[in-house]
Amino acid sequence: MFTDRQPRSFLDPQVLARLSAVPLVARRPMVGSVSGRHASPHRGSSVEFAEYRKYVPGDDLRRLDWRAFGRSDRHYVKEYEADTNLRLCLVLDTSGSMGFGSGEVTKIDYARRLCGPLGYLAAQQGDAVGVSCVAEGIVRSVPPRRSPAHLRLVFDVLEEARPAGPTRLPEVLHELAETIRQRAVVVIVSDLFCDPSALASALSHLRFRRHDVAVFHLLDPQEMAFQFQRPTRFLDMEGGGAIFADPIDIADRYHRAVQAYLDDLRRIVLESAVDYHRILTDEPAEQVLARFLVGRAAARGLR
Amino acid sequence: MTFLQPWMLVALPLVVLPLIIHLINQRRFQTVPWAAMQFLLAAKALSRGYSRLRHWLIMLLRMLAVAAVILAVGRPLSRGWLALAGGGRPDSAIVVIDRSPSMQARDSSAGDSKLDTARRQLAESLSTLRPGRCLVVTDAARGPEEVADPAMIVDLPLAGPAAASTDLPAVLHSAYEFIRENPAGTTELWICSDQRANDWRTEDGGWAGIRDAFAKLPQQVRFQLLSFPAPAAGNVAVRVTAARLETAGRDRRLVVTVAVSRQEDGPRLMLPLRFEIGGVTTAVEVELSGREAVLKQHSIPLEKAAGPSGWGRVSIPADANLADNEFFFVFDEPPPRRAIVVADDPAARRPLELVAGIPPGKDETAIVDVAAPGSLATAGWDEAAVLLWQSPLPEGRDRDIVQAHVDRGGQVVFFPPDVPTATAFAGVTWGGWTSHATAVVPESWRTDQDLLSNTLAGTALPLGELEIRRSCGIVGDALPLASLPGSAALFARPAGASGVTFCATTPAPRDSSLAAEGIVLYALVQRAIDRGLAVLGRARQLDAGPVAVELAAADEPWIRRAGPAATSSSEPGLQAGVFAAGERLFAVNRPAAEDASATVADDRIDGLFRGLGFSRITGRTGVGDSIVQEIWRAFLIAMLLAIIGEGLLSLPRRPQANAAPAGIRSVEAAA
Repeated sequence: MFTDRQPRSFLDPQVLARLSAVPLVARRPMVGSVSGRHASPHRGSSVEFAEYRKYVPGDDLRRLDWRAFGRSDRHYVKEYEADTNLRLCLVLDTSGSMGFGSGEVTKIDYARRLCGPLGYLAAQQGDAVGVSCVAEGIVRSVPPRRSPAHLRLVFDVLEEARPAGPTRLPEVLHELAETIRQRAVVVIVSDLFCDPSALASALSHLRFRRHDVAVFHLLDPQEMAFQFQRPTRFLDMEGGGAIFADPIDIADRYHRAVQAYLDDLRRIVLESAVDYHRILTDEPAEQVLARFLVGRAAARGLR
Repeated sequence: MTFLQPWMLVALPLVVLPLIIHLINQRRFQTVPWAAMQFLLAAKALSRGYSRLRHWLIMLLRMLAVAAVILAVGRPLSRGWLALAGGGRPDSAIVVIDRSPSMQARDSSAGDSKLDTARRQLAESLSTLRPGRCLVVTDAARGPEEVADPAMIVDLPLAGPAAASTDLPAVLHSAYEFIRENPAGTTELWICSDQRANDWRTEDGGWAGIRDAFAKLPQQVRFQLLSFPAPAAGNVAVRVTAARLETAGRDRRLVVTVAVSRQEDGPRLMLPLRFEIGGVTTAVEVELSGREAVLKQHSIPLEKAAGPSGWGRVSIPADANLADNEFFFVFDEPPPRRAIVVADDPAARRPLELVAGIPPGKDETAIVDVAAPGSLATAGWDEAAVLLWQSPLPEGRDRDIVQAHVDRGGQVVFFPPDVPTATAFAGVTWGGWTSHATAVVPESWRTDQDLLSNTLAGTALPLGELEIRRSCGIVGDALPLASLPGSAALFARPAGASGVTFCATTPAPRDSSLAAEGIVLYALVQRAIDRGLAVLGRARQLDAGPVAVELAAADEPWIRRAGPAATSSSEPGLQAGVFAAGERLFAVNRPAAEDASATVADDRIDGLFRGLGFSRITGRTGVGDSIVQEIWRAFLIAMLLAIIGEGLLSLPRRPQANAAPAGIRSVEAAA
């Protein structure tokens, strides 16, 4: 069904083949347009019994439970759970800071390696896939659609995404929360270099809109280690000013600031029940995705 | 700070090298695009007090390490607070060693004397300093003598113990003469002394000249005083003040008067005195309760077979200073008390003949020769102890004869002639006669010493009962022994002539009551005879010093009969002992002033060297550490400590490089 033959740098067929064994499922009921593999808040025609309901005129007589009528002399209609598809909204941070990479892989490269396979897996199981590239605002947005041709467009957007500009991720997430009309799985891939309290508000907004929010927090190993031997002039990749510092002098204070930021972030994601994954970019993306998918599969069935 | 290689200090500006490297490093920064700027901003906003302090501490330690290396290479010397004197290695070092008996005192807890300690400290210090030349001077007559190796000072006989006092002004003058004649660069003049007043002679008029002379030298001379002013605790000195041979029939006995003294009050002490005379030893105890005790007229019988003369020694048990624990004396049968009287005025001559002709003891004989000017050569000068001269001062051949008598140790008492002449003797001449309308009485006279001193019983001579009707002026540089009203001298002694006395009046009744009140004249003449006999007799007591050295060098060679075992016998006149020269016997002992404890105050010594580079260090007896030590090791240790401290401060506080990613992964795994 997926006929995109154009090679993509962020897609590895072998990885896709291995990941296909684990379905991408939502942790919350989804409201889809067609039948699918995901739980729906509505009753439907699946084989999974949901409940009995009193017959009301106009109900389809084929759904009356005659056995129940025989036992109780009352008319009941037997209802079943509905399965539907989901809408996967990939939110890719394309601010300037995502262009940093101490090794061979920049954070935005790594983000593509996460978003691409997720989009592919979702499309494979008939779900709608969309992508929003965000920085100071929504740079480019492709709404979720189910068609294979649309997936190519999504890949094109991922491939063409370039890190530039400052980050206003909390504001953009607020905007997306209002823009995405139906329940969706919102996957945010970012380095989250923003104010943690503002981010907490945005995540709560998404949760309020009943979206299933997953966050891939990308961090470069050098950003954690902060190992420099010489005095260094640090240029802000998001267009701010430069800072001159002797890393040996400020390393301990830098690590204290990082630790405080991570502690805040951890508290926020716990409070907002976000599916949070903190990732160092030297870790294989396949391993991260596998852990993500398996974790979600365990939570399947919640309605 | 003193350095053996001070030129290395020109490298001291290198201490700023770490600062320069730091600044260069600051300029060699790298530019890195960076994403996590918010953490950098937070890090810079956090408190930087400790970080800045650590930064400066590291810089300071690096600079200290560099400074320590440079200073260590400069080979710094530790000289106590003498380091303030500054300077590097001297071109020459002259060591002035006070080796007087008081320097042989030792601490009760140590075996080394002050002299030993000083010599060892000097040897070590100068071995470290390694001056271009090293000279030692202990005696002004010998002058500085060069030693090949400063370490030899420890065993140098020249610097060994002596019985003589040290005439420091004279010694310094000889050092000055040497420096002036042998110009060198920087000279260090080390003085080792216990600051005794009799050695320093601060009243000596030569000090000002010495100070000025050194100040005018073109080269730099630094004075270093290694001082040992602490008195020897519990030290007792013994001294024989008189030794007289008495004969009663065939029995002979020696009558001695012995004084024992100590420098400070102490507990009552029974001190055993041990006499050794002709191989026979006797002992007697003396009670010492104050500072001094005198054993008067102690009689010691002599063996009948013994010769007419002899020697002996008295000693006390060993104490803090061995040098004053024994005293040598010699004795002989008293020679005839011969006096020569030369008097123009018969009224004056008669009393003089009488006072000279009456011996003080019944066993003694007195001979008076009367001579006239111009016929002196026929008098018995060899045995004459005193010359009583009442005539114009001698001239020509007479003068030579009288001068030879004085030089030999004889005494002369000059009385004024009727008509004074302009002739001078020993720098003193007669002025004019002054007749007093009413007889005058002497106002003051020296009662402590010399010819008019008090009697042994302490009674003053009755000079106050004399009546002086006519007096003649004494003109010249003379020290008054007795003074008339108006400061005119009645008795005076020319400076530098210890055997010459001038009397301003005559015994003639018209001039004074010297004859009528004959006690003063008799005592004066008999004391003069005693002093003359002390010199002219076959047995003579001498103080170690220049006079004894001169005597030892002038006549027959001295052969040592007795003396301290540890002293050198090659310095007759400077070492204590009994010496024989032909038939004559000499007992040489330390001067009486050595038994006194008076020291010169520090500020007084500072005043003596005012205007010169002078510093002082107080030594401790028995502590032989070198005054000057190389301390480069300390600087190397300081450098190591600075490097270690710098390393510790430079260490990261936590291994952040690995801890942060591990923490990230663990959080991620938990989530």
